[in-house]
Formats: sequence, structure tokens, C-alpha cells
Amino acid sequence: MKRATQATETPQVGRSVERLESWLKVTGKAEYVHNLRLPGMLYGKIFRSNVAHGRIKRIDTSAARALAGVHSVVTAAEIQKVIPEPYYGPAFHDQPILAVGKVRHVGEPVAVVLASDPHVAEEAVHLITAEYEELPAVYDEVEAMTSKAIVHDELKPAGTFPDLKHLKGRKNTNVALEFRLRRGNAEKAMKGAERVFEHRFRTQQVMHTPLEPLVSVAESTESTLTIHTASQSPSFVRIEIARLLGWPENRIRVRVPFLGGGFGAKLYIKLEALVSVLSLIARKPVKISLTMEEQFFTITKHASTFRIKSGVTKDGRIVARDCEVWWNGGAYADIGPRVTQKSGFTAPGPYDVQDVSIDSYALYTNLPPAGALRGFGIPQLVWAYESHTDLIARELGIDPVEFRRRNLLREGRPQATGTPMKDAALEKVLERLEVLMDWKKPFDRGEGTVRRGRGIAIGFKACIANTTSLAAVNINADGSVTVYTSCVDMGQGSDTAMAQIAAEVLHVATESVTVVHSDTDVTPFDMATLGSRSLFHSGNAVKLAAADALQKIVQLRKELSLSADTPVADVFKKKYGMRAGSVMGAGSFIPPYTPPDENGQTDNATPFWMVGASGVELEVDTETGRVKLTRLVNVADVGTPINPRVVETQLSGGAIMQLGFTLFEKMLFDAEGQLRNASLAEYKIPGFLDLPKEIVNEAVVAEQRNGPFGGKGVGETATFGVSPAIANAIHDAVGVRLTELPMNPEAVFMALQKK
Amino acid sequence: MRRTVQFRLNGEAVEAQVDSHETLVEVLQESFGLYGARESCGQGLCGCCTLLVDGTAVSGCLYLATLAEGREVVSIEGNTEPDAVQEAFVERSAFQCGFCTPGFVLMTRQLLDEHPDPDDDTIRHYLSGNLCRCAAYPEIIEAVKLAAQKRSKK
Amino acid sequence: MKPFELLEPHSLREAVAALEASDARPMSGGTAIMLMMKAGVLRPSRLVSLRKLQLAELEVASDGALRVGAMTTLRAIERSDVVRKGWPVIAKTLRTLSNVRVRNVATLGGHLAHGDPHMDLPPLLAALGATVTIAGAKGERTSSVEALYSGYLETTLKKGELITQVEIPALGKKRAAYLKCTTRSADDWPALGVAVVLDGDKPTIVVSAATDRPTRLASVEAAETLHIEGDLHGSAAYKKQLLRVFLKRAINEARNASH
Repeated sequence: MKRATQATETPQVGRSVERLESWLKVTGKAEYVHNLRLPGMLYGKIFRSNVAHGRIKRIDTSAARALAGVHSVVTAAEIQKVIPEPYYGPAFHDQPILAVGKVRHVGEPVAVVLASDPHVAEEAVHLITAEYEELPAVYDEVEAMTSKAIVHDELKPAGTFPDLKHLKGRKNTNVALEFRLRRGNAEKAMKGAERVFEHRFRTQQVMHTPLEPLVSVAESTESTLTIHTASQSPSFVRIEIARLLGWPENRIRVRVPFLGGGFGAKLYIKLEALVSVLSLIARKPVKISLTMEEQFFTITKHASTFRIKSGVTKDGRIVARDCEVWWNGGAYADIGPRVTQKSGFTAPGPYDVQDVSIDSYALYTNLPPAGALRGFGIPQLVWAYESHTDLIARELGIDPVEFRRRNLLREGRPQATGTPMKDAALEKVLERLEVLMDWKKPFDRGEGTVRRGRGIAIGFKACIANTTSLAAVNINADGSVTVYTSCVDMGQGSDTAMAQIAAEVLHVATESVTVVHSDTDVTPFDMATLGSRSLFHSGNAVKLAAADALQKIVQLRKELSLSADTPVADVFKKKYGMRAGSVMGAGSFIPPYTPPDENGQTDNATPFWMVGASGVELEVDTETGRVKLTRLVNVADVGTPINPRVVETQLSGGAIMQLGFTLFEKMLFDAEGQLRNASLAEYKIPGFLDLPKEIVNEAVVAEQRNGPFGGKGVGETATFGVSPAIANAIHDAVGVRLTELPMNPEAVFMALQKK
Repeated sequence: MRRTVQFRLNGEAVEAQVDSHETLVEVLQESFGLYGARESCGQGLCGCCTLLVDGTAVSGCLYLATLAEGREVVSIEGNTEPDAVQEAFVERSAFQCGFCTPGFVLMTRQLLDEHPDPDDDTIRHYLSGNLCRCAAYPEIIEAVKLAAQKRSKK
Repeated sequence: MKPFELLEPHSLREAVAALEASDARPMSGGTAIMLMMKAGVLRPSRLVSLRKLQLAELEVASDGALRVGAMTTLRAIERSDVVRKGWPVIAKTLRTLSNVRVRNVATLGGHLAHGDPHMDLPPLLAALGATVTIAGAKGERTSSVEALYSGYLETTLKKGELITQVEIPALGKKRAAYLKCTTRSADDWPALGVAVVLDGDKPTIVVSAATDRPTRLASVEAAETLHIEGDLHGSAAYKKQLLRVFLKRAINEARNASH
């Protein structure tokens, strides 16, 4: 398929351009690391712990080693010969490449079998035995605060976060991090409030289950290492592997093609350190490709408990909020501490409350590690504060939409961090939701065994700060354009968005732009593709890089005394005497930021806010507790949509994913910390028959003034309000309030029975 | 226990050396470099491994390659010219990460062969065995209907 | 998976003989077997594929009974005009049985011989009074579908025996319904399956999924004392509630069945 270099005056942003990689994906030709095979490659299969907490007494790999076709079997002992301190993690260097001395959750990797036939490797794994001295384990996040079962003998903050340095060396605690925010005097304001409400909410551990399971391949020589990996954060992988090996970054190359889904699972270090050191030991390429089941033992979403208390006036103004959140981080911190802090400070919700107290704790437990999952802690918080807010409105006899209207933060007003709200279209989103829900019209709740109800919820997120994106844009000798970015397209359409932005600056057609995929030898540093940050950060970097390249062409025209409308190809011809050369533009973007003080206060907490609201209409079958959504409405502030169709599908996709987490997904553990449903046969995710009858998605007209062409992220927005909107609608339908997720039929039925 | 299996693959007569326990997905990847069919859930529930054997859609990750002897296997790579279904999926943006997409395309072709003008209910039931974690489901329904229209015009 | 011997006999006698070997398992559609082998639950050294046996005829006998060869795929049954007309409850049940790809290869014999109480056809066919013909080294015998199940994943098929044919009596004036209840995603193994066949006002009720095997209830009231265990699909108390509700609904649906 030829894509001509098309100079054009047609605007490129704001167009629902077909994704650039469309044909690759519908013909099955898109590249995924899942498919990668290299000559001489060995497959690694992992032997995992079957106890939740224990000291390793011995590992017997002799039978495995003896199996025909097995290349080798590796444990921590072999790893430590290459990397004496084999611990990694973005916030804490607490996670061993293979278990060292101790295992801290069922499924923790203990040994790896290498073989050129993956079936042989798997057979050999069954021949490994290990003995553990079992230790008391803890699974609940609130219990973990005071439990005698201590997961880590010593805390090891990585030093990447300046405010975690003081935790180094701390012992005898499961509290990895405590975030504290105080604004005004919540205690005093609470005492003076006319009404006080307090509730507790809980959420469950779930898994992203991207359909391309986590996979990494490493190939090495004595002095170079190339990692092909399904990762959302190639730049971080390079930095962290360089640190572990003690190598300079420029000898490590990290390549990422397309991801078969990410959702936050494929971040930081997952399999990359393991395959790297294995390939250095074996002197052959090594691939580790997890099964769907193994993913559940690798990375998950934080379960949480949130105690929220509000002081309110009789006419529905919130005057004080006191929030306490316990995050279940599992056995290794991963990015949990950031969830605890950066999402933690939005715990009071998008409301104008100037007397606020927040305590947010990251806990270690003996469960599989929790990390980033679409929403990054926000869905858990919105679940609590929007259920709580709804209960207050009901108690006071105030319409739920009106109650929120009275309390929403307006432009310029200080949020709990003290940062003034800017370009967060909260009011507009609420208004639009009210209209799309026909909220002012009477609603028939039915009379028989099937009752109907409706509910709304609104949430927000502060994009994490502060983070860096760089980009480069090459204008080639024929005028065609190449964009270099380490932003990763995992299905959210980032390739297309970056191309649209560059195309807009350079007045070419989006379809004629090539976007080079992450390759740390080629594409410049990008903090990571996460938290809906890329459209804004990577997009701004690409915009700057394109403008830089354009400026160089303008300059060249002047130097060569050519007219301003001389086509680019002719400019190069004049300069080099033939079709040759190119012009490279560079862009670097890091937004301004002020770190918070010891009370969590700052005048600049975030470069942009995301706003997402949902409304649902549903039916409750009171005989079985089964809930059926008849209508799901998602409204968002995404600034100015760069690609309206992509925006629509991101809202839709995020909401449907959140439906699964709301109504039926849950990782089920027994009393010994064994996971009972680690497969898609027993861990069910939404399918066609789970869709609401009607789904409406809309982005309000808004502008993010510091975003590229007014745009900002959307990937997570529709995950915010879905869960509480459903709880609110169930309450509306049948008068029962569920405070725990998932709201499966049994939970609803049991609540009805209690009533 | 490797044996030679002879079958037709995307219209060509082929043969491969396979172990008894190897599945059709493994053989297509290993011996023929075709990666459109992928093993994901490993349990026949997600449809990423969809292949056609003698014109019928099967879960390739549960289909022993040996049993393909003498049969006609078709994968997503089987057509060189894009068909109405692929066009419709592109036009309606009926995918995101794309990992499940080949499976959906093959199942949609089967669906439309049996039901040239399917309603929503028929579409949802027929495709209920294909999962999309990106949840492009609403767009896929649009694409199926558009493909039905395109097909009826030809 | 570890390597195994794969045989493809052409005759029933060959197949039965091949199955005499210890650690040999029969395979028809292969979906259930492959799942268990991939999970490491089954590690046979010999698999006997039954695909080459000519046992896929579907016909109506002179007495109006439906005779289905054991190797008939579930999809063929679902799409059969004969079945849609004469036993619409079966076609309807098949529509939500697993997914199309599974039904394309899974066979009726394999489905019945598996013994998983979460499956849809065993309780329905038991309630319809269906029988099976079983071939073994000692010859042929028949059994009711109901008598096939002795426990969780346990059937009364002896080693080396194969189901060759299933016979389902004509519905006549009877009316039937099968309802299943899933408690997680809509497409899931059921927490409960209820089959009801009404002969006038007299109901034949067979319950499955919440029990370890398809279980006949002597009466609607018997549901209250039925032993039910809790599992990933729901607690025992909740499944008891589902049973009450779905029993009522299945009887209603059977009453209103057009056939």
C-alpha cells in the first residue's frame, strides 16, 4: 500500500483518521514479541512457589537437569554470580529476579528451566521440587498494618523518589509508604458540621489479562544486550537493566513492537531482568512467554479499603472530609507507592472542601504484587467517594446531581493539595451527563420482581507529575516525515495520534507519516506509556520536534534564497545537488511542577486533570440479585479530541473493562493464599453477552490549554465513574447499598435478604 | 514420535514434521511462519487461535496438528486481497491492540456465510466465544453489519 | 504436555481394542481432553481419536425417536432442521452451550461421556428419557442417560467402552425447557442447570451444575432438601435460592413451550 508524501492544508488533528496500523492488524501481520523467534533461542519456563510465605530450605533441580533436551536450570544462586544484588522495582528495590532465601507469595518465580523445546522445558519444571519452612502470612491490607507477619525484613526504597529516601533500612513493618495530606483543619470543621457521615468501602484484587500475555526475549554478546519486550516503558527498562548489570545505557537496546494489550501490566521490570541475565548466562537468546494463568501471579490491581468521613451542612455543602485508604500492594511494591501518593491526594473527590485530611498507606501482603492497572487507584477511590457522596445526598433528600453541582470544584478553586483547578471541565461534564441521562424526567422503577434504577457518578484524576518525554522528527529528502518516539502503541492509537500531531505542524497528510516504534538505540527517552500521559507529554514533545524540523526547513530556504513555498524535496536537491540529506528536529517536554510539602500541599500538583463521569440505568432481578444494565452513559473531558473516533472507542473500552471489575471479576484466594481461579475458564472477563443494551460515549467541548492542540489523555477516563454509578443505581432500584466489589448476583441478593 | 503430516494450507499442498502433542497453532508458527493465529487463553475461550479446518472454525490451540492430515486449513493469511470483512473492520475501527482481530475476522466470515443479514442478537451469540480485552465489542458489531452490507452488494 | 501415541482407528472394534491399553483415552472433538492434558490433569500415553468411525448419522426412527450417532457434532445437531422441528428445546440449549468453535468439533458422545456436571445436555437428555448404546469388548449394551453418571467426572462407562448412539424419544405431547444460570460473565460454566419435561402436569425435573452429577428431583418440593455445595459460582445457600427460582421459571417456560 503506497502512502504518498502528501502536502496538505487540511487540518490533521480533530480528524477521525483510520489508525495507521489498521491493515497490519486485520491481516494478522502486526508484530508482537509474542511471535518472536530467534535462531538458537532457548525457551524459559518458570518454577514457582506453592506457599504464600516461607524460607527456602532447598531446591532440588537434579531430575529437571537430567531430562533429555534440557539446556540448564537456573536459580538465584546462578543469577547472583552475574548480579550480586539482583533486586529491582521502580519505587523499592525489593523484588528479586528469582527468589533469594525466601518466597513471599504463591506463584513467586523460584527457578527457570531453559530448553530449545518449550514442551521439554515445561515437563522439566514439573520435576523440580522445593522445600519451604512456612512462615505466618498476611493477606488483608488493614490487618497488614499491625500484623506480626512481616513480609519484608527490611525496606529498600530505590531512591528514585526523593520523598522515600527516609524509609531506607526501616524494619518490622508492612507499611511500605504512608502518604499524609492536611489542608485546613478537618477535625475542627468536622466537629462543627451539622451532619456527619462515615462509611467504609472495599475493592478486590483483579488482573488486567491482556490477551498477549507478558513476554520478553533477550539476546546478548559479551558487551551488548538487546531486549525485545512487550513493555509500555522501554526507556525505564534500559535504565534499570543498566543499573542491575552495571553497564552503560548505550550498550543495552530495548525494542518494542506492538503490544497485544497493556492496561498497565506491562510496565517497569516484569520479565526483562530475568531474560537478560539468563541470556548472559546461557550465551544464547532466551524467551520467556507467560501463559494466561501465569499472569495472575505476576502483576495485579490493588485491592483497597477506604474509610471516608464527611461533615456536611443541612443544605448539602461538604465542609470537611477525612479519608483513610489502605492499599493492598501484595508481596512487592512495584509502583504501588506512587498509586498511594499520586492518586491518594484525590481521595476527597472533585469537591470544593478546604478542610481535608488524607492518610493513604501502601501495604505489603503475601499476595501476588499489585501495580498499575488502568485508572491507577482512581477507580478504587471514586468507588468510595461517589458511593459515599450519593448516600449523603439521599440522606439529606437532595437530588444526587444537584448535590454534586453544589460542591464541585470550579476553575481556579484549590483542590485538596492546594493546587488551583485549571482546565478541568467538571461542571460541563456533570451538566452533559444530566442531559444525556434525561435526569430531570421521572423514572419508572417498576413494581414486580424486576426493579429498575438509575445512578450517576463523577471522578477525576491528576496526571502524574512530573515526567519527561522527548521526541524527534525527521524530514526526509523527498519530504516524507518520520516520527521517533518511545511512546508505545498498545491499542490506544498513540502511533496515529503522534502522526496526526506531526502532520498538523508540517502540513502533510497523517497517512503519509511513518512512526518508528520504540527502540532505545533510535527513539529518544520517554518516561513511559502510562496513566494517560502520552497524548499530552509525548504529543507535546512530538509537536516541539516537528516545529523544530519545520524551523530548520524555513531556515534552509532562507539560506538558499528560495521562496517560502518551495517544496521540501526541491530544497534538499538545491542544498545537496541531488536527492539527499534530511533535517532532524528534536523536542523535549517536561511540564512545570512543584513537589508537595510535608502536608501534601503544592501550588502545582499536576499538568492536567482528567474528568470522567458515568450514568447507568439498570434492572435488578430481585429473585436472583442479577443486575442487567440497560443504559451506560460515559461523559468525559479530554480537552480537544485529536482523533474523535479513537476518543470514543477509548471511552467505550475503558467503561466496558471497568464493568467486569464492577460486576464479576475477582481473584479468589483460599486461606493459604492459593489462587483458585487463575485462568479465563474461572476468571471471567466481559464478552459480547455482558454488554449493556445501549452505550453512549461523549467528550464535552473543552480545551486543555497546555496540551498539544488543546488535547489530553483519555485511556483511563471512563474507568472512573462506572462502579459507583452502578451501586447508586442499585440503591435507587431496590434500596440496598453495596460497599464491596464485585457486585455479583449473590452479593446483591444477600444484601436484599438483609434488608 | 515425530511424523509427517500432509495437508492443504491456504490453498497450497504442504507437509510438516510434527510431534503428537503439537497443536495447529504451534505448527503454523513454527513450520510456516504464520503468526495470525495466536495462543492466548489456551482454553478455546478467547478465539485468538481461530483457524478454519475444512471450512469450519476451530480453536487452533486445542487442535492436534496430526489430525489436520488430509484436511484444508485456512488462516487469516489465506487471502491476499482484503475482503469485505477486513475492509469493514478497518472502516469501523473494530480493533485496538489487534491481538484478537484475526480470530474475529475469521469468525465473522463464518457468521455471514451462515447469516448474511444478522441482527444484534445473532451477532452477539455467534461471536460470544471471541474475547476482546480492549472491549472493541460495539465497534465490532458495527463492522459486522457493514460487512454484511458490503457482501450483499457484491 | 508430554508426547503420547495417537491412534486413529477406522472401525469400532479397532477403537475398543485400542482402548483396552491402560492409560489410553478416547478423543472425539478433543476440546475437553486437550484442556485436561494442557492443564496437566490428564497425562495419557495413548490417545485414541474416534473421528474416523462412521458414527455421525442423524435420523428419525419409525417410532418418531431421534437417533443420533455419537460422533455427530453438536453444531450439526444445533443446525438440523429435524431437531429444530421435533426437539426445539435441544436446538435452543445448544445455542448457548460453550461457543461455536467448540460446538463445531465437540461430539454428542464425547459431551455425554465427559461426566462434568456443568454440561448442559446431560440433564436435558436425562429429563427427556434419552438412552445411549454403548459398545465394548464384551459387545453392546444400552443405558439411560440418567444412569450414565455416578459422581463428579465419573461415569458408569467401563474401561474400553464407547457411546455409539443416542436415542431421544419423540416429544409427542410433552413440553420441555432447559434453563441455566451463570453468576459471573454471561458466557460461563453454569452455577445451575434445570431441565423440566412436562407430561401433562407431571414434571420430570433434572438438576445439574449445582450438584455433582445430573440429579432427578422427585418433586418441586424435593428441591429444598437437595444437597448442594458452594463453589466459585456461589455459596450453597445462594445456589439453593437459584434452584427455587429457576425451577419455577423452567416449569413456566415448559408450560408455554409451543411444542
